[in-house]
Amino acid sequence: MDSEDYVYDSDADDYYDYSSDKDYNNEDDKVEEEEEEKKMDNIAIGDYDGETRSNKKAKQSYIVLKESDIQQRQENEITEVSNVLSISKAAATALLLQYKWSVCDVQDEWFADEERVRKKVGLFEKPVFLLPKKLRKVELTCSICYENVRISMMGWVSCGHPFCRECWEKYVSVAIEDGVGCLKLRCPEPHCNAMVDRDSIDLFAKEEDKERYSQYLLRSYIESNKKYKWCPGADCEYVVEFCEGGEKEYYDVCCHCSNSFCWNCMDDAHRPVDCETVAKWQLKNSSEAENTAWMLVNTKPCPKCGKPIEKNQGCMHMTCREPCGHEFCWMCLGTWKEHGEMTGGFYACNTFQKNKVEEKYNEAEDIRKRAEKHLEKYTHYYERWAGNESSRKQAVKDLKHMQKYYMGRLSDLRGATEAELKFITEAWLQIIECRRVLKWTYAYGYYLPEDGDKKAKSKRGFFEYLQGEAESNLERLHHCTEKDIHDYLDKKCPDKEFNNFRAKLSGLTTVTRNYFENLVRALENGLEDASSQEACSSQEACSSQEASSKIKSRTPIKRERTKGKRRH
Amino acid sequence: MQASRARLFKEYKEVQREKTADPDIQLACDDSNIFKWTALIKGPSETPYEGGVFQLAFAVPEQYPLQPPQVRFLTKIFHPNVHFKTGEICLDILKNAWSPAWTLQSVCRAIIALMAHPEPDSPLNCDSGNLLRSGDIRGFQSMAKMYTRLAAMPKKG
Ligand SMILES: [Zn+2]
Ligand SMILES: [Zn+2]
Ligand SMILES: [Zn+2]
Ligand SMILES: [Zn+2]
Ligand SMILES: [Zn+2]
Ligand SMILES: [Zn+2]
Ligand SMILES: [Zn+2]
Repeated sequence: MDSEDYVYDSDADDYYDYSSDKDYNNEDDKVEEEEEEKKMDNIAIGDYDGETRSNKKAKQSYIVLKESDIQQRQENEITEVSNVLSISKAAATALLLQYKWSVCDVQDEWFADEERVRKKVGLFEKPVFLLPKKLRKVELTCSICYENVRISMMGWVSCGHPFCRECWEKYVSVAIEDGVGCLKLRCPEPHCNAMVDRDSIDLFAKEEDKERYSQYLLRSYIESNKKYKWCPGADCEYVVEFCEGGEKEYYDVCCHCSNSFCWNCMDDAHRPVDCETVAKWQLKNSSEAENTAWMLVNTKPCPKCGKPIEKNQGCMHMTCREPCGHEFCWMCLGTWKEHGEMTGGFYACNTFQKNKVEEKYNEAEDIRKRAEKHLEKYTHYYERWAGNESSRKQAVKDLKHMQKYYMGRLSDLRGATEAELKFITEAWLQIIECRRVLKWTYAYGYYLPEDGDKKAKSKRGFFEYLQGEAESNLERLHHCTEKDIHDYLDKKCPDKEFNNFRAKLSGLTTVTRNYFENLVRALENGLEDASSQEACSSQEACSSQEASSKIKSRTPIKRERTKGKRRH
Repeated sequence: MQASRARLFKEYKEVQREKTADPDIQLACDDSNIFKWTALIKGPSETPYEGGVFQLAFAVPEQYPLQPPQVRFLTKIFHPNVHFKTGEICLDILKNAWSPAWTLQSVCRAIIALMAHPEPDSPLNCDSGNLLRSGDIRGFQSMAKMYTRLAAMPKKG
């Protein structure tokens, strides 16, 4: 890694002091820089465990469970009840079903009044129907099919009402076909409420019906337990258990199927905004979507030649087709070269340019214009929200594509093991996660008070600064991951350079991850730090999150090198 | 043989054998289709239906007796649990409380019991349900009696 490439600013104050002229090219801490790099390499290689980054450092408040894990837990509870009450497991299951799988309730009710519970659930201690003494030889009429059947070919549950096995099988089958109600199936005899329990199902039902029955049993267990929720991912069979009681409740979870969602509202994962904001924002989108907003997402005319350009790559840096070749920013349609100090960072384009808008409409101050302005504001945020979402989706596709077509080639070419190439996958996963977070910061920004007191203004300024930095961090990572990789698929490229690439990308990934974690926290804290910038080292900001001070010191600042290489 | 057909055939034979066993119920199978039945039931005594004869139509599903038959009144009847226009009956044993050990005969018996003991809380006929619920027993009875005379009694020549 070129030591000139990145300088990590260790001055924490500098990070928050967005209003003053920043001097990021502060190259005074080379030693720390190198140490940091080593750390980053360690983190980048072999530390990946497939979990969402934002949940990695915080105490994870949820567990992803396989069906078999849950089946085991269910079985344990059944066994417990069966032991404590000295009844069969099937009877214990029937009781648990009746009392919504609460072991406590079952035990309380049972010991308070066993007879009442037995009656309610339909567990008879003695049969009410007494079979003739001379068994085996005797035939009885099955009162379902009306055939005379040998008693040995009949079956009954705890009440003793006999029916032929054939009728039992059909009776059970029809009930299971009908749905989850089969879990509370009763004896076919009119007015008899004897429970057809699990043992009887095992005895009477066909194989496939038994399977469906245990599925229903498991589902009932999961659905009556408030701690569990199914992952809403397509075809996903995992269940996520949420353990309440963290310092603050955040509901974003990431399933093993790689789908991340909010455990509370079941929408897509949406830290740092809360469920309420998500609902509000989605509602707004659906009502405004019909007009302009959706059209703006996928195609835009090149600002120079006017040809429609479709966005098909993840990053915001667009290049028009030859011969035009104009480079522009997808977001603001400004010339790419001008993206820099003006827009809050070279790769960033987050500052909604209120001034421009105001100038334009200064002459006509009528209400219609103001409504237009409102729409413009909404469009600004919506476009960026949607733009990041489609970038996220594209990144998911790109990652899959890369794994499918390039990883093997790269591995052969560089003689690198899969584990050694993990840093590339990791970079992609980080991009996907960051796009998601960034997306939601735009909903956050939309609802952030526009005007108001000094505090509100300083919050907005702080927010836009943080967002801009996040964006430029991410664009840098996205660009490096998306574009530079192709250079290393070329045989001519020396291995040494590939090693540099590894170091660079791993470093960028770590820096970006840390930055975003910090961003999420800052936004979730309601940008409290904005009001007291001088107190950026206040206990809240730094002591509680040891990591946050690290991130500040790691923000990469030099942009010279990447500037030269950014060609699509 | 289809299980439902076998079972219906047994019921059919039972009906033939004990034709006079229950004087209040006359069950008959459709000539050409064992899955279609009709019944004539006598209005229970000491009710506004006394003296009337009511015709029921049964449609038996393939899954019978695991699933209940569909039954409706063909004769107009003023009763809170019977739809006045369609003759549809609201009776738990014809829905979720069905037992495969019930027969068409026992369904008829249950319907006779329902005629004697209406359930005004699950009305299919709101007018009659409301009369009963508001405590206007006499109003209900006179309406029910009138319809019994109009629809369920042989016209006097
Ligand atoms: Zn049978
Ligand atoms: Zn029974
Ligand atoms: Zn999943
Ligand atoms: Zn939510
Ligand atoms: Zn162009
Ligand atoms: Zn780019
Ligand atoms: Zn821009």
